Amino acid sequence: MENVIDQTGVTTLDGMCAKIQHLVEHAAHFLPAQGPIDVFVHHNTLHAFEDLRFDQAVMKGHEVYGCEPYLSEDRYRAKLKRGRFNTDDLFEVLLDDLEDEAHVLIGFMGTRFHLRLAMLEHALHTGPVAELRWVISETDALSQFREEASEKTKSRMIEQTRRWVMRDLRNGNEQADPRIKEVVENLFERFNGSQIDSWSDRIWEAFTLQLLWEVCYIGAESANGFTLPATPRLRHRDLLLEATGSDIDDSVNAVLIRFCAAFLDQGFSNWPLPDRDAGFFAAFQSLYSSGKTMEWWLKGLPTELKRIEQEKMSPLEIIADSLQRLGLSENEYEDYITQTLLALPGWAGMIWQMETNAEWTVRPAPRGTLVQYLAVRLLLERFAISAFYREETGNNLPLEEIGSTLKQQLEQSVSVSAVERAYLLFQLAQVRGWNPHELHQQNQEAWTRLIREIETFNAFERRRIYHLAYERRYRHQALDAVSVIAKQAREQRVKPGESERPLFQLVTCIDDREESFRRHLEEIVPECETFAAAGFYAVAMYFRGVTDAHFRPLCPVSIKPDHYVTEEVAYSLTAASQSREEARRMLGTASHRWHMGSRSLMGGIITSVLGTLASIPMVTRILFPRTTAQARKLFGSLIQPPAVTELHLYREAETPGPDESHLGYSIDEMADIVERILQDIGLTENMSRIVVFVGHGSGSLNNPHESAYNCGACSGGRGGPNARAFSKMANSPQIRRILAERGLVIPEDTVFVSNFHNTCDEDVTYYDLDDIPRSHRKEFEQVRAYIDEARARNAHERCRRFESADLAMPVSKALEHVEGRAEDLSQARPEYNHATDALCFVGRRDWSRGLFLDRRAFLTSYDPTQDDEKASILARILSAAIPVCAGINLEYYFSTIDPDGYGCGSKLPHNVTSLLGVMEGAASDMRPGLSRQMVEIHEPVRILFVIETTQKQMLGIMDDNPTIDTLVRNEWVQLAILDPDTAEIHVFHKGEFKPYHPETDQLPQVESSFEWYRGQRDHLGFAQITCSKRESPSKTRSGSKENGEVA
Amino acid sequence: MDIQYAFHALGVIVLVMPTLLLAVIGLMSLIGRPLGETMMARWTEATVTVALLASLGILGLMLYSGVRQVPIELGNWVVIPEQHFHFHLRFVFDRLSVPFVILTLVLVGTIGAFANRYLHREPGYGRFFLFYAVFLLGMVLASLAGTIESLFIGWELVGLSSALLVAYFHERPSPVVNGIRVWAIYRIADAAFLVAAVALHHLTGGGDFSGLMGTEPWPYGTASLTGMQALFVGLLLLVAAAGKSGMVPFSGWLPRAMEGPTPSSAVFYGALSVHLGAYLLLRVSPILDVSMTLQICVIALGLISAVFGALAARVQSDIKSALAFASLTQVGIIVVEIGFGLRYIALIHIIGHACLRTLQLLRAPTVLRDYHTLENALGQNLPQQESYVRYITPSSAQKWLYRFALERGYLDAFLDTLFVRPFIKVFSLFNSWERRWTDLLSGTESTEALATMDPSTTGSDGIKDIK
Repeated sequence: MENVIDQTGVTTLDGMCAKIQHLVEHAAHFLPAQGPIDVFVHHNTLHAFEDLRFDQAVMKGHEVYGCEPYLSEDRYRAKLKRGRFNTDDLFEVLLDDLEDEAHVLIGFMGTRFHLRLAMLEHALHTGPVAELRWVISETDALSQFREEASEKTKSRMIEQTRRWVMRDLRNGNEQADPRIKEVVENLFERFNGSQIDSWSDRIWEAFTLQLLWEVCYIGAESANGFTLPATPRLRHRDLLLEATGSDIDDSVNAVLIRFCAAFLDQGFSNWPLPDRDAGFFAAFQSLYSSGKTMEWWLKGLPTELKRIEQEKMSPLEIIADSLQRLGLSENEYEDYITQTLLALPGWAGMIWQMETNAEWTVRPAPRGTLVQYLAVRLLLERFAISAFYREETGNNLPLEEIGSTLKQQLEQSVSVSAVERAYLLFQLAQVRGWNPHELHQQNQEAWTRLIREIETFNAFERRRIYHLAYERRYRHQALDAVSVIAKQAREQRVKPGESERPLFQLVTCIDDREESFRRHLEEIVPECETFAAAGFYAVAMYFRGVTDAHFRPLCPVSIKPDHYVTEEVAYSLTAASQSREEARRMLGTASHRWHMGSRSLMGGIITSVLGTLASIPMVTRILFPRTTAQARKLFGSLIQPPAVTELHLYREAETPGPDESHLGYSIDEMADIVERILQDIGLTENMSRIVVFVGHGSGSLNNPHESAYNCGACSGGRGGPNARAFSKMANSPQIRRILAERGLVIPEDTVFVSNFHNTCDEDVTYYDLDDIPRSHRKEFEQVRAYIDEARARNAHERCRRFESADLAMPVSKALEHVEGRAEDLSQARPEYNHATDALCFVGRRDWSRGLFLDRRAFLTSYDPTQDDEKASILARILSAAIPVCAGINLEYYFSTIDPDGYGCGSKLPHNVTSLLGVMEGAASDMRPGLSRQMVEIHEPVRILFVIETTQKQMLGIMDDNPTIDTLVRNEWVQLAILDPDTAEIHVFHKGEFKPYHPETDQLPQVESSFEWYRGQRDHLGFAQITCSKRESPSKTRSGSKENGEVA
Repeated sequence: MDIQYAFHALGVIVLVMPTLLLAVIGLMSLIGRPLGETMMARWTEATVTVALLASLGILGLMLYSGVRQVPIELGNWVVIPEQHFHFHLRFVFDRLSVPFVILTLVLVGTIGAFANRYLHREPGYGRFFLFYAVFLLGMVLASLAGTIESLFIGWELVGLSSALLVAYFHERPSPVVNGIRVWAIYRIADAAFLVAAVALHHLTGGGDFSGLMGTEPWPYGTASLTGMQALFVGLLLLVAAAGKSGMVPFSGWLPRAMEGPTPSSAVFYGALSVHLGAYLLLRVSPILDVSMTLQICVIALGLISAVFGALAARVQSDIKSALAFASLTQVGIIVVEIGFGLRYIALIHIIGHACLRTLQLLRAPTVLRDYHTLENALGQNLPQQESYVRYITPSSAQKWLYRFALERGYLDAFLDTLFVRPFIKVFSLFNSWERRWTDLLSGTESTEALATMDPSTTGSDGIKDIK
């Protein structure tokens, strides 16, 4: 910061402004990174801390945002109880975590390992002092041992205490602490000590516990506990809140929320903010510098705004001015700015996104908006602080002194009180069997050590260990299952060129929701093969459908497409289409007028008088959503464009662009795309006569987060057009010729077909059916029937997760159920999206085929035998797969861990604002993240990648790709590799690959998925499905028929 | 005679069904055995359907027989002859109450079906349906009330359940704060209502609307009050209606009410609660005929509210607030219609508006998709309609108007500055006087002062304290 200091050592104004600019931009990284909600891109909620190790980062997140780092201890223990992990896992994880320190002896308490294990195994209750006091005096905590204390420990403790009391204490044989003596005398008095010889067991139990409590309390008091560093309260708001109980943020935010919403509005309100184009501060100034303010605490704001205008202060200067007036020293600026921006993180984050990352929206925010927002915010806070301080204390202190005055008032360190410590000790003593006598003999040093030892392993640390154990269980189960199947696959592999030509091949997105779809298809037709690649199928484009108004990117966010593709009505139907388009436009205009009119004065009268008619759609849509949707579709079909359309894919002009002749791709570019995908998935030989490409998306009503349910590889868009474009390219003889020259031969009788899979209502729609040659139509009909059966079964498997779907529902009813969900206005869970995702497999299908993965795995096809030495194909697959899957998984992790902090809370009070995001109610912060309803069945574990490659290749890829390296080394994801030749597994742990030894070589076997999941709601374990095994050609269709009937 | 009997039976069914629902849901949770989701949904469905069928039956019978007013007497509950007071449960089915009760049952029933799925697995599911039952009972009582006391009971139940539903998400602070705000404003309305009821008793010797407005069926009654009496009672009722319907100056609570789950926002504040004020005015509309001044006041208030609502709705950038203010606009217009004596039009307007607004609020979360659909149909970005406000106002006033609308008319700030803060200040002053006085008397510091001290500092001698 030398450049900001002039010769006299005083910071110049320009220098200060540059510094503030820098600080604001730095602080912006802590803000949520979710952009407009209709282009929902899953990303790591704690992306800002990715350079830290996962466990450090979650604690940092706790510090900065006040959000939870892990689930609560209670929830982990509930999972332990339900068998989602077990004590062995705790044992192993703890040992591994402590490394050499596990066996350090801590006085009489045994080893550190045992102490910690005891703290994990038994629920340690703690709470505010007042609560503990209540527990001590009102519950039977001092009269009965904890339930977990074993009978043996219990009786031994009582026995030892009895001996101590009878032999030593009562006879004064021992030089006991005078306080203990007093305590014992008091106890004797209470329990009628003269009858001590005839005390019942229960009295002895109570006596022991009371004595134990007193000893613990005296010990805890005597210990030199270390004080925790008090969290620094820097913002005046926090000081004021603590000192007086009134929160200026409530008032300041109310003004800012209204203003931000108006400023960022993308066209919802029909009266735009005056002077919006002049920028955030200018608009604020022009709105508030005239007239009087009604809010009592904002008196003087117009005057101040006029002063700012006269002195021509820039927003940065205003910030500098405000910080100075608030009495802050320069070294406090960074934290103060960060904390101030985090006072309304959702809106501040949305401003930053709109200013840096949203040039495609209708009204992006100009650069510098966040700085201007901060300027406004600090200005408002200044007024609020002065006014509230005056109001609460009656003193009229100058603004710059308020902060320091409050700090002085509140100066005190946070320390754990003796009661809290004593109560922890008291609980531990019961399960570990430390008797009062033993404890009593400890000196101050030992007490201090003990307490330090316990407090080091605080609740956060315990939760971290629980979490590791929880992840360990699932990891081991998954790796065991993979190991079994991979070994089988290795034995059964045939040499290339010897395998049968499959009946058909199907390629889907790597999405975890397609896992079950593929699995069911393989069960129905064991002779088929399935593959998966990222669902944009290397066709990175801006796409505009025939009824769309705008282009929309269909590719991962990391790619900025160069190409534009449109969907057009078939040439012969152009005229018919135009009249329908006209009808659509008229209806659209009318319905827009109706919408707007219903909110205005005069239009409202007309719409209201006719409003009774609205009761018909209202009642039918709520009571009979599916039927109403069908009726609406029927009506809609009259104005829809003709069903026959084509993609404008072949480019005439040299360069790509959005104009007519620049639309589409050149032949070479298309050949590259087809080659790349076929190589990625390893489908370079033995292609079947029909290859189906499936794009996916999701449609649901009353769901502002709808876009989050779409294809992640298409930036929250629907991937149908990508599959369609790919098939079109791959069918082109011209492109096939080029590919053949490059050595990739697509057989002449291979036909590519594409469709769109709606993962919400399980609908599958096909594209370009006219292109299928007659020779293939019969086979295609057959394939289509198989796919229909698969989607029905898939719907059925999904239904087991919905509590409102009967577990005994037959397969035939499942489609109806999911269709109803998608059309239901009152359905808060149209589908569960990526919830429960926990795995990502990269490799050949043969080591996951027939494995029941419970829709929890992203599956990426990759054939290591076709890759080069450096695994360059794998590198390009992983460069997208790891960040994308990790982003999805981590967003689910954080939204599940803290649904209100990291997630967007419950969906029920959500209110779409500015067409950008959701608020709770009419004036809250913008809420990014996922809702409770979306994550309710999620198991928050870090995703486990199982990649079919060698150590050397994987380490090479990590070296070349810093993103992957950071995610893996900082433990944001778990990584295991499966050796392509030996099928051995190595797990990346603490910076290196360590061999994994399966716990078992057994895997439950069932005939079909249905048999495994039938009647189950909860997460299911792994199992091998036998009917999807590819048999020798002699046993053909008969097997599949039977399965159909099973279902 | 037979037809009278049928009327009576059907009327009792309409009244009993909501009571039964509340009794079942309430008692079951009171004895610690709350109903499960399915049972609760079934009870709700059954009782609402039966009540709806019964009210449709009454409508049919009324059309068939030509009877336009069916009173249902449920007896005198309190009679104090010396004071000429009798508390009399009397309900009336007439041209006003039958459509309104049918509207209530249709909307509330639909919302019940909606909420059953929408709140599925929600920890507060049972609580929601309990408040829902209270609300339903309140609405039915209020719409059918034949005496001002019965109307008041319904009115109170509606108010209570509404405020509790705003505060439904009670684990967050802002719904609770807003719930209390709504409740406080309702109390003002209730106080005005109560004074009006007492005044009516005083003036007409009873709370029966028939005593007040003659026995002719609505809307042909004639008020038996003098102009000044009507003005006095009417103004009080107007304040009550304004509070309940969120009219100026009480409009601040309308957006705040959107804190609850979408279905409750939709049916309660978007459709039924907000119209209850207008319904009250409709019910006592004959007294408007007596006093010209009162009529002017009603029209003025309606007009101001309508214009304010339209203005505020224009600048709101979130869907639920925009709809809330749009509702206010229509309620304002309805009140104007009542002021002009266009009672049937007002009734039709209420029904149409309630249906439309409920549907709009229920599908509020779809707004993004709707906008995309419209954009696609139009083939371009949606035109931001130039507001006519911008043509008719000079540009200097525009900014002021915009800010006025954005700040929701400063109504909350206005109420805070003018009433709430002085109120709190005065009572804090009294409190400090009282404390000083008691301190002086007792010679020690009062316990209140001690109680505000940090508990952790008082408990340093832990061990003795615990015993």
